[in-house]
Formats: sequence, C-alpha cells, structure tokens
Amino acid sequence: MVLGTDEFIPLARAQLRAKGLPGLPVVTVPHPIGGIPPSVVAVKAEAIVASVLRALTSEPDACALATDGASPLVEAPGDLDDFQSWLMEQGWGDGLPAIPPTRERVARLLAGSRRGPDEVAAVLVPRLGRATLEAIAANSVMAGALPEHLPVILAAVEAVADPAFNLQAIQTTTHPCSPLVIVNGPIARRLGIHGGGNVLGQGTRANAVIGRALRLVLQNVGGARPGKEDRATHGHPGKFSYCMAENEANSPWQPLSAERGFSAEESTVTVCGSEAPHNINDHASTTPEAIVTTVASVMATVGSNNIYLGGEPLVVLGPEHAATAASSGWSKDEFRRHLWERSAVPLAHFAPENIARFATIYPEGFKDRPAGSVAHVARDWRDIMVVVSGGAGKHSALIPTFGATRSVIRRITD
Amino acid sequence: MHIVDPASSSAAAARTLSPRPRSLEGVTIALLDNSKPNASVLLERVGALLATRSGARTVRAWGKPGSSIAASPAVLEEIAGAARVALTASAD
Repeated sequence: MVLGTDEFIPLARAQLRAKGLPGLPVVTVPHPIGGIPPSVVAVKAEAIVASVLRALTSEPDACALATDGASPLVEAPGDLDDFQSWLMEQGWGDGLPAIPPTRERVARLLAGSRRGPDEVAAVLVPRLGRATLEAIAANSVMAGALPEHLPVILAAVEAVADPAFNLQAIQTTTHPCSPLVIVNGPIARRLGIHGGGNVLGQGTRANAVIGRALRLVLQNVGGARPGKEDRATHGHPGKFSYCMAENEANSPWQPLSAERGFSAEESTVTVCGSEAPHNINDHASTTPEAIVTTVASVMATVGSNNIYLGGEPLVVLGPEHAATAASSGWSKDEFRRHLWERSAVPLAHFAPENIARFATIYPEGFKDRPAGSVAHVARDWRDIMVVVSGGAGKHSALIPTFGATRSVIRRITD
Repeated sequence: MHIVDPASSSAAAARTLSPRPRSLEGVTIALLDNSKPNASVLLERVGALLATRSGARTVRAWGKPGSSIAASPAVLEEIAGAARVALTASAD
C-alpha cells in the first residue's frame, strides 16, 4: 500500500492506474512531510496507524481500470466558442484557444507522413498513453501546427520518451521544468524556426506551435495535468511552448548537433528538461575571461537543482557574448572548461540542513568535505551545454535543468 | 462535431492484487523509502507502531537511488521475497 500526503493523491492514483493496480489502498497524512521537524512527522504517523493496519489486512474494493481513450473519436460542441470551454472541462486544453482536431484536419496533418495513423511513436508516462501518430497529430492541430511541423514534433516526442530523459520525473516533479526543444540543421531555416532576436519570446509561428504541440501531447497523452499529476509548485511560461533554433550562422563554434556527431546536412531536435531562462547581462566585458566571470556567477547558486543532482545546465550565449568568448581563439570546449572551473559555490554558503541532505544524494560532493571545499554546478565540464542563439545585444541566458535528466538528441527524419 | 481523441488510449494493463493477510501477526513488514526528506521518519514511525499493535515479526526498510528514480526491479523482488506486506511513500 501507499502512504502519501493529501496534496499528492492525484499523482499516487495515476501511478497506480499505470501499474494496473487502481485498487491498491492509499492512506494520506496532511501535506507536507518534508521541511518540518521529525517530531511533527511522528505525530502525523501516529494518526494513521489504524487506517494503515486496516488497509493491509482487509480486501480492497474491486476497482476496474477506466477504459478512457477506447474510441478514437469523441463528440464535441460544434460552436468554436463552446468548444474552448468544453476542451478545458475535459482537461485537454492549456488555457489558450485551440483548433478542433476534426478527423479531416488530423488527416491533412498526417497526409505527408510515411507512417500510419495507428503507429505508436512512444508510450508516455505517467499515464502510459499511446502516442500514436494520430494522437500526436490531434494535439498538433489543437496547437495550430501545419503538416511541415509534424516531423519536428514527432522527433521531439520520441526524444522525451528516451529513458535517459527521465520523463516520469519531468512530468510529475514539483520543480519548474519542461522540455526545451532545440532545433539544429537545415530544417530550422526551411520551416522558419527562429534562432535570432527574441528567440525565447513570442512572435514566431513555428516555434510557438511546435513547442505547444509537444506540451499538449505530454499533458493529454502522457497524462500530466496541471495541479493533478503535474505537481509543479510554480511551473514556468515555457510550459505553454518552449522551442528555439540555434543561431548557427552567427556562432563562432560548431553547433550542438555537430558536437553530438551529426553532419551539417542533418536536422535534429534536442530536448532538455529545462527551467525558464534567466538573463545574464554583461555590457562591458571584452575578453573571454570576463564573460566567463559573469556567466559563472549567474550559474553558481545554492538553490540550483544542478548543483546537487548534476545534469546539464544550458547556457544560451547571445551571438555578441559568443563572439567575445571566442575572440582569443578559445574553442567551445575551452569555454566550457573555464566556465565549469569558475561555476562553483563554497560549501560554507549552504545551510547545514542542505549539506546534510545533499550528502546523502551526492556524497562525493557534500559528505565530510575538507574546509574550503566548493560545489561545482555540474559534475563535469562536459555536462555544461552551450548553444548560441538570440539576436543583437549584450545578453545571454542561463537555462538550468531538473538535474536528474539528460538531454536527448534525435535526427528529424519523416 | 467529432474530434480525434487527443488523449489516445493507455497501455496500462490490469494486474491482480495478492490477497491481504487477515492479520499482521508474525509477518515481516517492508518499508520502501522514496528518499524525500522525512519520508523515512514517517515510514519508520508507522512501521514501528504497526509492529507493536499487530504483533508483526519485524520491520525492514529499503531505499531508492533517488526520489526521481524508480526502485530497481532487484529491490522490488527482494521485498517480495522477504516481506508479506509493504508500505511505500509518494509525496514531499
């Protein structure tokens, strides 16, 4: 049986459905159990012992798995305004208006694909939803996508399902994260996926609809509904849509796809379990070392997931900062090595409770360390990801990640 | 108007729960800690009180590699082999 806090009941129930055990008993205590004195937790424990004993020694009520999604077609209001309210009532909307995914519109989106509508591209947790081509297309229609966007969306769906991405945690964590889709290669130019000024803002259709389609697939097929299975304390605006291209034309270095073994003719998506971007303002630096000083200081913070969980914090260098960083001949790897060296926080800056907690999670970094030790923002310099994107201006962006996740790159094929 | 179901179907397959014991007398109780702060405090306190009240033989605890990482199949098998009932935790 499962013990949980009352706040987490929807997630516990969803997990039991996915495991095929909807009837397994759940007993709750009032939220929270973390961040309070153990004596208070003990009192909460005492209050539920009788319920736990009863649940362990009596047969649970019969409880069948719901057969949602058994039919591929659903009746919906024909009036466009009524449709919006209805979609939200079903738990299938994101709050913005959506285009009804009629059979005709879904067929149009799929017309150019070599793959059949029933083919399962991925099975998405926590719900174990079958991401068929048809279901991906339905969410893409809702998001406003066009047929040419579908290959990028498909590759992104397949990428988030890679075990290295740890989708279960990304979908259900309290941490504010969501897959950032980074597009490399000729398809970005062909589809107008933007990598210039205001790259992470509004105003480009391809970026907006590709990122939004992936989000709707994750929410609806994956079953991560906000406030239910998606337990984010705040979330972030990228959970509406989070898609960018690398500004390959204005980068002094090889793009992310080349770093990972793809040729310049190949197009790729890379997904990262990412926080919102945080600005790095530096209008004065004229040397690589000076840029590193500024970027490192933004990265090295006590409240970072990456600092104790590892993972791959992402630096989106603006082209002007990138030019300065490369001005004395540094390769991207040299920049990353210097950045890692400087992105460190003295252990003395952490609260003792956090040192104790992090010591159990990452003992090499936090347990019984000599005085004067520091914690780096990534386990290894190779874990710091750097891409060049954005337009004119003396800004870059730090995009920390969930930590217990790895970025996944996929070639865009069909 | 009909729309294509954007949720699709679920691959979850129903499984049968094993019969519950009538009492916990003489059984081993397993605790699976989700490794969130204080989860072990809650589980161990419930386990200890259960053992006192029910006459369980012993309480044993297992862990996960991290709160965002699933328990390994080996640990689950070990629990299934060693204990008659198991308590686990979900939450912060």
